[in-house]
Amino acid sequence: MLQVLVIGAGTMGRAHAAAYASMPGAQLIGIADIRMEQAQQLAEKCGTRAYPSFEDAVSDLGTERINVIDVCLPTPLHKNYVVMAADIGKHVICEKPLARSEEDARFMIDYCQEKGVRLFVGHVLRFFPEYVKAKSILDQGGIGKPAVIRAGRGGGYPIGWNHWYSDFGASGGITLDAMIHDFDYLRWCFGEVERVYAKGLHGRHQAQLDYALVTLRFRSGVIAHVEGTWAHEGFSMNLEMAGTKGIIDYDSAKDSPILFKTRSNAATIPGVAVPESPLARSPYYRELEHFMSCIRDGSEPLVSAEDAYEALRIALAALASMDSGEPVLIDNTTPVITST
Amino acid sequence: MKIGVISFAHMHAFSYTKALLEIEGVELTGIADPVEERGRKYAEHFGTVYYQDYRELLKQGLNGVIVTSENVHHKEHVLAAAKAGVHVLCEKPLSTNIQDAQAMIDACKANGVLLQTAFPVRYNTTVVRAKQMIDEGKLGRILAMKGTNRGRNPGGWFVDPELSGGGAVIDHTVHVADIMRWITGTEVKDVYAEVDHLISENPIDDSGILTMEFDNGVFATLDCSWSRNKEFPTWGDVTLEIIGSEGTLSIDATSQKLHVYTDESGYRHHAWGDGMDASLVRDFVSSISSGAAEASVTGEDGLRALAIALAAYQSSEGHRTVAMAEL
Repeated sequence: MLQVLVIGAGTMGRAHAAAYASMPGAQLIGIADIRMEQAQQLAEKCGTRAYPSFEDAVSDLGTERINVIDVCLPTPLHKNYVVMAADIGKHVICEKPLARSEEDARFMIDYCQEKGVRLFVGHVLRFFPEYVKAKSILDQGGIGKPAVIRAGRGGGYPIGWNHWYSDFGASGGITLDAMIHDFDYLRWCFGEVERVYAKGLHGRHQAQLDYALVTLRFRSGVIAHVEGTWAHEGFSMNLEMAGTKGIIDYDSAKDSPILFKTRSNAATIPGVAVPESPLARSPYYRELEHFMSCIRDGSEPLVSAEDAYEALRIALAALASMDSGEPVLIDNTTPVITST
Repeated sequence: MKIGVISFAHMHAFSYTKALLEIEGVELTGIADPVEERGRKYAEHFGTVYYQDYRELLKQGLNGVIVTSENVHHKEHVLAAAKAGVHVLCEKPLSTNIQDAQAMIDACKANGVLLQTAFPVRYNTTVVRAKQMIDEGKLGRILAMKGTNRGRNPGGWFVDPELSGGGAVIDHTVHVADIMRWITGTEVKDVYAEVDHLISENPIDDSGILTMEFDNGVFATLDCSWSRNKEFPTWGDVTLEIIGSEGTLSIDATSQKLHVYTDESGYRHHAWGDGMDASLVRDFVSSISSGAAEASVTGEDGLRALAIALAAYQSSEGHRTVAMAEL
């Protein structure tokens, strides 16, 4: 039985806590959040204990009882908490993006290695069954040689703790926070990226909107267009792979197995449409169960901390391209350490 | 009014000619085509006279001519029409290089004839409605745009650079680039593109993603790839999504369709929206009859859109952003 402490009771903390609560072989032993009320609500729902801080949780539970610390905090807090977890010798699961800078990400990976703890990064898109299926069709040669790829995700502007998403220096906007999912997934499918060109709304428009269009050129020749939006209503994601012999097309907005619509009850209150795509096991469950099994048997994860580091470099290259107005080369000459 | 058609090399000649016949007061004077078999076939189909030599057709006292020859021949045909004092509707891309396009514009101006670039998407009812919504200010300030104009590889002379001047990028950039210019009322400042030959066996560009920055700070991307395969349910698409300060607008110009599944041809889209080619031809004819000083979509519009495609090629070769001023 692996005992897990979740740090952060926000959107990701809730998704992860719910997964652990129903997972055989894992036990959610506590949830810590400086917003004690939020921690309590979530702890109650998941049948575990709430703590007002990481330190309180560790001192109350005792370091021996904790096996894994799952960091579901805003990006700028990742480094400190990963270091704290490693310091007490615990394996760490950290939400994506691993860090806001390449230096921090490298430091965190090296630090965990020195401390002999494992570091997993929540690039959950690799566990979404539609994305897994698309890759499997691709890998079986179902569309021939891949050529032009389009991926996109987004919805409304996210409201986070202390409005940290709107602090570009902290979140990196849509490119670093959300499009990094697609960067990681596309790199998984098509290998290393050679060049990145990007345009984004950051710095052009003051309101709470972000929108970015990124072109990736892979070493294999594949051209990918990635759209990230915090300028739409309602979350959706899409993927299209066009190759020499076929096309795979997916759009969560078009293929929604459940669509619940409330009827408008007055002329002034419009109805609301809520789409759902239910799965017996959520992608978060699949991801965390996989990380648990890697911890148990020491095997390599489907997505390594080095993969997370590479995805971050692509996202940072996109931000650099937005600033310079020129394409940014991904320097692939530095040796990549593959073990975590 | 007497109108002729020069060359059926481009398949749009068929729908343009058909549209001509439906306009009252228009006489289809003749079809010129150096390929005799093709020219005779369509002349017979449309009940008109066949000319092997377009110069003969231009001597028939035409008011206007539609040029639907291969891209590299546009210049020769437009210059001859201008010299003969005949108004011209020229298929896109206007030309294969800026010098030729400019020469065509200058010749038409000098001879006092209209030069219209055939951009049918401007006449698409959906696009026209979207433009109206934008002009009403529903979107607020335009911030960014994302367009696609993808299709199947057309084959034939389109994949012979000696005749087409290029592949997917020159063929499919101009439509949506023109719409972007039209909608924003501004010009493209610079272009970056990744262009390559990745899909078909013909050694010509068939994959392209352009990124454009406009003079007013709007940015946009455009996918102009010939990336639709033969089993795709339709020929391709024309889409444009616009991010405004007050909302978003998604345009899918070919979305008025039926989903048809037959054992014979599998899954196919059947369009039921308004045709755009007829409106385009009608507009050309009405510009002639009203004695308009300029066509609604000018040669200059054609040149601007062409320049964006040429900048994309240049950018992709040099892996750098190309300023339109460099061209």
